[in-house]
Amino acid sequence: MAVPVIMPRQGQSVESCIIAKWHKKIGDRVEVGDILFSYETDKASFDEEAKTAGTMLAIFFEEGDDVPCLMNVCVIGNAGESIAEFDPNASKNEAASAVSIAVSEEDPSGSHKAIQAQHGALQASVMLNGTVCTNDAQSDVVQASAAAVASTDAGMVKISPRAKNLAERSGLDYRYASPSGPGGRIIERDLTALRDSGMIFTAAALKEQLKDSGDAGRQEPGAETGALRGGTGVTRTGSGLGGRITTADLASGLFAAGTSGAATLSGATALSGVSASPAASVSSGTPGAVMAGVPLNQPFEEVKMTNIRKVIARTMHQSLSSMAQLTLNTSFDISEILDLRKKLKEGKEKLGLGNITINDIVIYAISRTLAGHKALNAHFLEDRLLCFKNANIGVAVDTDRGLMVPTLFNANLMSLDEISAEVKKLVKECQAGTINPDLLKNGTFTVTNLGTLDVESFTPVINPPQTGILGVNNIMQRAREVDGKIEFYPAMGLSLTFDHRALDGAPAARFLKDLKTGLENFSALLAKA
Amino acid sequence: MPKTQFIDPNEVRKSGWIKFQDIPVNQYNKTIQQEKENFSKKDFLRIYRDMSIIREFESMLTSIKTTNEYNGISYNHPGPAHLSLGQEASSVGQAYILDKDDFIFGSHRSHGEILAKGLSAIEKLKDNELTDIMEKFFDGSILRVVEGRQKNKSSVKELAVDFLIYGTLAEIFARETGFHKGLGGSMHAFFTPFGIYPNNAIVGGSGDISVGAALYKKVNQKKGIIVANIGDASMGCGPVWEGICMATMDQYKKLWDGEYRGGLPLIINFFNNQYGMGGQTRGETMGYDMLARIGAGVNPEQMHAERIDGYNPLAVIDAMKRKKKILEEKAGPVLLDTLTYRIAGHSPSDASSYRSKEEIDAWMAQDSLVSYKEALKNAKVAKEDAFAEILENTKELITKACRLAADDSVSPRMNLNANPNQIGDLMFSNKRVEKMEDRKPEVLMPMEENPRVQQIAKKIRVGIQDGKPVSKNKVYNFRDGVFEAIIDKFYTDPTLIAYGEENRDWGGAFAVYRGLTEALPYHRLFNSPISEGAIVGSAVGYGMCGGRVIVELMYCDFLGRAGDEIFNQLSKWQSMSAGVLKMPVVVRVSVGSKYGAQHSQDWTSLCAHIPGLKLVFPATPYDAKGLMNAALMGTDPVIFFESQRLYDIGELFHMEGVPEGYYEIPIGEPDIKKTGTDITILTIGATLYRALDAAKILEEKYGIYAEVIDARSIVPFNYEKVLESVKKTGRILLASDACERGSHLKDMAQTISELAFDYLDAPPVVIGAKNWITPAYEMEEHFFPQVDWFIDAIHEKILPIKGYAAKNNFTSGEQIRINRLGI
Repeated sequence: MAVPVIMPRQGQSVESCIIAKWHKKIGDRVEVGDILFSYETDKASFDEEAKTAGTMLAIFFEEGDDVPCLMNVCVIGNAGESIAEFDPNASKNEAASAVSIAVSEEDPSGSHKAIQAQHGALQASVMLNGTVCTNDAQSDVVQASAAAVASTDAGMVKISPRAKNLAERSGLDYRYASPSGPGGRIIERDLTALRDSGMIFTAAALKEQLKDSGDAGRQEPGAETGALRGGTGVTRTGSGLGGRITTADLASGLFAAGTSGAATLSGATALSGVSASPAASVSSGTPGAVMAGVPLNQPFEEVKMTNIRKVIARTMHQSLSSMAQLTLNTSFDISEILDLRKKLKEGKEKLGLGNITINDIVIYAISRTLAGHKALNAHFLEDRLLCFKNANIGVAVDTDRGLMVPTLFNANLMSLDEISAEVKKLVKECQAGTINPDLLKNGTFTVTNLGTLDVESFTPVINPPQTGILGVNNIMQRAREVDGKIEFYPAMGLSLTFDHRALDGAPAARFLKDLKTGLENFSALLAKA
Repeated sequence: MPKTQFIDPNEVRKSGWIKFQDIPVNQYNKTIQQEKENFSKKDFLRIYRDMSIIREFESMLTSIKTTNEYNGISYNHPGPAHLSLGQEASSVGQAYILDKDDFIFGSHRSHGEILAKGLSAIEKLKDNELTDIMEKFFDGSILRVVEGRQKNKSSVKELAVDFLIYGTLAEIFARETGFHKGLGGSMHAFFTPFGIYPNNAIVGGSGDISVGAALYKKVNQKKGIIVANIGDASMGCGPVWEGICMATMDQYKKLWDGEYRGGLPLIINFFNNQYGMGGQTRGETMGYDMLARIGAGVNPEQMHAERIDGYNPLAVIDAMKRKKKILEEKAGPVLLDTLTYRIAGHSPSDASSYRSKEEIDAWMAQDSLVSYKEALKNAKVAKEDAFAEILENTKELITKACRLAADDSVSPRMNLNANPNQIGDLMFSNKRVEKMEDRKPEVLMPMEENPRVQQIAKKIRVGIQDGKPVSKNKVYNFRDGVFEAIIDKFYTDPTLIAYGEENRDWGGAFAVYRGLTEALPYHRLFNSPISEGAIVGSAVGYGMCGGRVIVELMYCDFLGRAGDEIFNQLSKWQSMSAGVLKMPVVVRVSVGSKYGAQHSQDWTSLCAHIPGLKLVFPATPYDAKGLMNAALMGTDPVIFFESQRLYDIGELFHMEGVPEGYYEIPIGEPDIKKTGTDITILTIGATLYRALDAAKILEEKYGIYAEVIDARSIVPFNYEKVLESVKKTGRILLASDACERGSHLKDMAQTISELAFDYLDAPPVVIGAKNWITPAYEMEEHFFPQVDWFIDAIHEKILPIKGYAAKNNFTSGEQIRINRLGI
């Protein structure tokens, strides 16, 4: 009977051996003890002796072949016996499938399940992290966390876990804390100092405070926010329980009126709801290394950025850097409006009208014109545009605390007089600081007026996610040719900034043209409504 | 250094000669005919059977290792197999006269010795004893696998043989039904009920462990002898020489009293197969020519050394009979050079590149199985068919055992999925055993008459009285605490012995044992040779046989000399035996200072890295006594660190004073020595006192209230108290005198970071000694953590202190620099 000779395994770590030399060839007579072949591992060489006598019937590998241990190498038997069944090359495919079957049969529930379980655990942990739990999500998670690490590199807040916990537990905005730990780390005592200074928020306000604004309000290491460290005698309490600053306080900017450290509004209204104290902290003297670029021997005043200022800075920059903004300038003949205003002034008492300003008239005209230009009465949300039915017009108001933008809701449904009255009310509330924060949100288009400050033309910056903002300029005398004669007329400049991502230049220009037509023929526009 | 032995200069300066006696070499020359008066036909054939069982067992493993198959059974054994093919006659000959009370210790190549010793024990044990052993061992779980599979169902001996072969093989195959649940394996297989004590994967490992076993027999007056089976190449291992030195100390014969006087019942037997792994001991790697020569250099008796022919089982039996008699006459120990030859390689991957085929063939031509059989046939003891029947039977036995051991369904592995802690739970025995045996301890006087006890009675048991420190001569100090716990146990546990360098008379280099010499006979307290390896190694042997022992390393720096014994032996045998062995061994280690680079190191971290050791490092007399009591009550190996800075210190914390009676401090529980709110300082060892000084300054000068915690124990360690403190303070500084790099404190700091991360106001900071040599005492303040280091580190890394200027450089830049330079 033919007997196969296997490649012996010389030690557990040896997986295969190389056949160095065949001492027998096919057809040779083999006696017990004869050396059949020499083989090598990386460590040593060995001789394989025949354990049975017979004839070398088959040799499956040549010298130099790397043969897996325990695989048949040759067959010894009597001439004429079948060797096919021993041929490892012939049965390779069968063997492979046999192995795979064997694996699944041998261990139908063991290792495979274990792998699934592991996979499950992975998914579970991914889910815990709030990420989609598909297998593909794995790489996304990795990428996301890598990105997170990268983004914290610059300008990160160094704060001990304990201090951060204390902040969250006690409603402290740690960004106001002045770091005193090693390497500029905010540590527990910095938070207790902050707490002693009275800057405590309600949980909701703290969340609002920290939301979206990220690290923007962080103090530089070593910065002394003197006012915050207490001792100024200024009240720092809000309207909430135990003097906590509430979301309403934040929105109104009132909680710390006249003092430093004013609140930041939530991200959505950050731009329109800005309030800022004159100076969060002012100190004089010679600068340290952080003031690189300033000549050292010149007198200067160092004005700390209020946190709200930092938020504005970032939001403005983000607006300009992420949107495709451009501004179209035009002017319109304001003669009719000026005449109308004169008449209104004269007749207002008879008709019980308020003092209707040019600004009110412009807002009225916009509110009517936007209806035909839906891409400008809209929010741009990357993958879609929300086009609003009614026009909620933001009106930029200059106040002591800075620029505020209350919203005139459903302006398209209001009469000119109603618009005028409502705008006056909003302006007054803004200046008094009593504005309802709900009125500082949800604008769909904004009007800003620098004309009263004699600006001829400018490029207003859009308040995301709106798609347009109209700048109103001053009135200048312009010349035009009428019937071969030069005549002068009062012209008011308009500067429309729009987001080219949301609409193209021509549609934006058409809006401006329609607006111009409406304003130049304002009586007719009034009649139209 | 007993005063009774006068060293007379006139005597020792006389001229003369050292004379040696001839050392017998293969002097056995009896014929089978002559031996017929000593052996029956059954005896002769049993010897052949035992040899053939070993031969088949090892051949089976060869086949499994190289072809994954034996006699139709497929199995893959990835673990080691150091086989003893060729050495069968030597093991069987040695075991022939040994019974269960005689203990053998082995090497990595000891399958043959285990089987031979087991078969011999089975032969001598009564059926009911065998049944009892098999039923009780792991509740009969091994017995259940093999029972009912015998030809003669009523033969307990036949069952026991199956039990032995299967238990050994299942252990080799890492089965839970192996003798030690598969946790020992091929190189650590054993079975103590048959007197088979551990094999050892460390060459020469049994060389000193066996000395402790012999001490156990002698000190506790137990029946039986000890045989250390080690290889010829292990003569090059230091611990073997240390073991020989300790085994042949003059004091056994000259100083020990009464029935204890006389040599150890120990045979240090070299199975001399003439090779290390590949190095030839004779002619290449050693210079002894014949190993038996070594005996002549050891003591005047020349250790009764002899070379015997390990290829003839009857020659070995003859020698064992003669040597056992010597041991019974208390004239031991004995050195045997049992010449043999392994036909197989060192392991299956051995290509025998270091020896010729002719040499192997020549030894195979004299194969003991063949030549012994031929001799018996020629002497008409039995005919060929008798031997053929034995071989056939043997093959059946081995096939049966192999089939069972290869079968997952009857021989499962430990299910670590179902019981993930199963090995972890075996790392310590955690038993409380007041005395290892219940008999009257031998002492020389009632405890109350002991001069040291009387002296301590006059001492003041607190360190501060009426607000003033108690004077050094009056205060009950640290060494008194250690002493009280130890003497108490000496009067309770009769098995307790203590030894080390200068322990007797001197009372230990630091006088902890002063007074013990008066209290204890020699065999319970004695001086050892300066052999740290053998000191700890013998304690391992003493402990695993069932005795309690305290050994001492004079300086922590000498721990390296006992490296293998602590790291591989003391720590591992409880778990490698799956809990069968206990290790009630306390190693006292004195941590120095003042004496420079090789006498001042705190090496606790080295020990902390090794699983299986308990480590304590008390810093007060109260803790020292309580922890020593706990260590001596337990059954686990405890490394008991003592700082030489603290031996004189009184109790400053336990203001009721150190209790006179018995109490324990649980091992693993840290202790808050001072409460505080602002920062936690965790110390190991003597740094406690510097931490307290720093805490005082922090409080008085800077208004920072530190909580100071003394770790007391290193392994195990309950973090709860520390975490509670850190959650309160938010900050932690850890300090010890160990070099900062790789200090165990770093491990603790890491654990605290994980467990209290959200509470931390700064990362845990570790201060330790510089990563230098310890300089002279005069410069030590630049090396060991000082009081201002604590404050500097806090200021620099944790809590900057207004107006404070650090004196030392604890900046991040410095940390990077010293790490970059490796200093």
